Amino acid sequence: MNGLKRQWRPSAVGLAAVLILSSAAVAQNLPLTERIQQCGGCHGEDGNSQIEKVPSLAGQPEFFTINQLVLMREGVRRIEAMMPFVNDLKDEDILALAKHFASLPPKRSEEAVDPALVNRGAEIAEARRCASCHLPSLAGQEQMPRLAKQRIDYMIYALKSYLTDSRTGADTAMTAAILGASDADIAALAHYAASR
Amino acid sequence: MTHRFSAGRTTLLAGAVGSLILASSAVFAQQPPGLSPLDKSNPKASKQDGNLKPHATPSLATPAEKIPIDKLKLPAGFKAEIWSHGHPGGRTMVMGPKGTVFMGSRIIGRVYAITDKNGKREVKIIAQGLTQPNGLAIGKDGALYVLAINRVLRYDNIEDKLDNPGDPVELTKEFNLPPEIHHNWKYADFGPDGKLYIQVGANCNICEINPGVHGQIRRYNADGSGMEIVARGVRNTVGFDWHPVTKELWFTDNGRDWAGDAGPEDELNRVAKGQEGANYGFPYCHANGIPDPDVKRPSPCAGVVMPAALTGPHSAGMGIKFYTGEMFPKAYQNVAFIARRGSWNKADKYGYDVVLARTSDGKAKIEPFLTGLLDQKKNEFYGRPTYLLQMKDGSMLVSDEQNGAIYRISYSGKK
Repeated sequence: MNGLKRQWRPSAVGLAAVLILSSAAVAQNLPLTERIQQCGGCHGEDGNSQIEKVPSLAGQPEFFTINQLVLMREGVRRIEAMMPFVNDLKDEDILALAKHFASLPPKRSEEAVDPALVNRGAEIAEARRCASCHLPSLAGQEQMPRLAKQRIDYMIYALKSYLTDSRTGADTAMTAAILGASDADIAALAHYAASR
Repeated sequence: MTHRFSAGRTTLLAGAVGSLILASSAVFAQQPPGLSPLDKSNPKASKQDGNLKPHATPSLATPAEKIPIDKLKLPAGFKAEIWSHGHPGGRTMVMGPKGTVFMGSRIIGRVYAITDKNGKREVKIIAQGLTQPNGLAIGKDGALYVLAINRVLRYDNIEDKLDNPGDPVELTKEFNLPPEIHHNWKYADFGPDGKLYIQVGANCNICEINPGVHGQIRRYNADGSGMEIVARGVRNTVGFDWHPVTKELWFTDNGRDWAGDAGPEDELNRVAKGQEGANYGFPYCHANGIPDPDVKRPSPCAGVVMPAALTGPHSAGMGIKFYTGEMFPKAYQNVAFIARRGSWNKADKYGYDVVLARTSDGKAKIEPFLTGLLDQKKNEFYGRPTYLLQMKDGSMLVSDEQNGAIYRISYSGKK
């Protein structure tokens, strides 16, 4: 796209590059509907995940999804389970997928939301100023994801990844924002987000 | 906050960058890697808009027809054109002896190689998946050094094998750089002494740093041995160059955030001959001797080298290049060009331009050069100049990280 001649060659991440090279040859022209079906297999047909620790994508800001797909494709945000699906994505595919998921209405998962934890999570979110980036509705904006109605187990997993700096490809903003949170704090934040 | 890069366009945003947004009252007991628990950022006390946040960098390049080339304004006789595009997130630029322009990046993790074939540019990705490979330097025999936050790599004879770079020589252990991410994306360059100069930024917005590790410019032998500290108390320099005549090191330094919209201003500094290892003030003393409001000590500015010039509040001065070419008029000879990426921690945006620094006697005067990427009335920006590269013909390249483009500045007026 945009005149960029992309040449996937052995590089600092030899393996990722080879993967990209090999599968690009087989699946380059998968139609969008099939790609969406692939995503839906784990993330839910309507973009609302029913699988433990798999995030919902429905209603995610377009920019957020594009950004994450690019980073996964580049091998910057490394998620093994995602590699087979992202390594041959073209920029055009990424744009279309992001638009598709942004248009779907987010729905809360079947997980039980604890009102006491919601209240406590609201206080923690206030103190940590989550809304300054993710908006008071937690709908997200630009590169910042929607947290509202996200799966509780995924939110806990994601926040812990930031806490331990094990989420590759992320910059320091979230590591800073979640610094020092306890397991109980993180659970409360997850219930609060799911409730929004 | 409105700027041109808003939802609904095909340009997109990468991870938020830089400073911390911490609740001022929170007490943090734990220290994860990558962040100091001692950060003293205090957005409330700064009386700034607490919702200010870094502008994200698109992870796909702006289509050629939407690159804001028509917005650029230059002094009479100068002209700007798009030299290359389609390299999202491209920032630092160095040139190999055979004319290849290499580009480093941050979040997207790529290193690009741009070649000129019959007046057309070809963009290749020679490395990807690295952690913020912003530091690039060309060593002896044209080897390309790539400095990511966590790695130092050397690509020998790279220009002969751009299509198949092979495995680089790993020098990570030899350089033994700190692993923290914050302010630790590298700027690097070989000095006139043949040493590799490398920045190691403060690992916070504002905090007590370990002065033995952070807030430094260091120099090393090309193999990673013989480390020396060249400058201390440097918050976050992301660009330096040597004066063509005096051979002294000049560096940009970005001031802290969350201490007011008005500053403390960014700095242009000089390491005077024989002053290697001098202290530039962080975290206690900023700009022209402003004590820090959050990290205090008695006589905060005692022994601190004052800047050669202030370069504006939150302006994010990045690349600096002393002009030594023959294309521009004599008045530009040995004058430093500084790319200012532009502010985020300031309600009224500032910077997004290239300025000149005319140096004499260890001081510098700042003048505008390339403008037009900031609409002050609308408080919107259209691009972010990050680094500069002088070409063999004397023209100057300016990278625009926001648009994934490089502009070429040439002069055809009277001399």
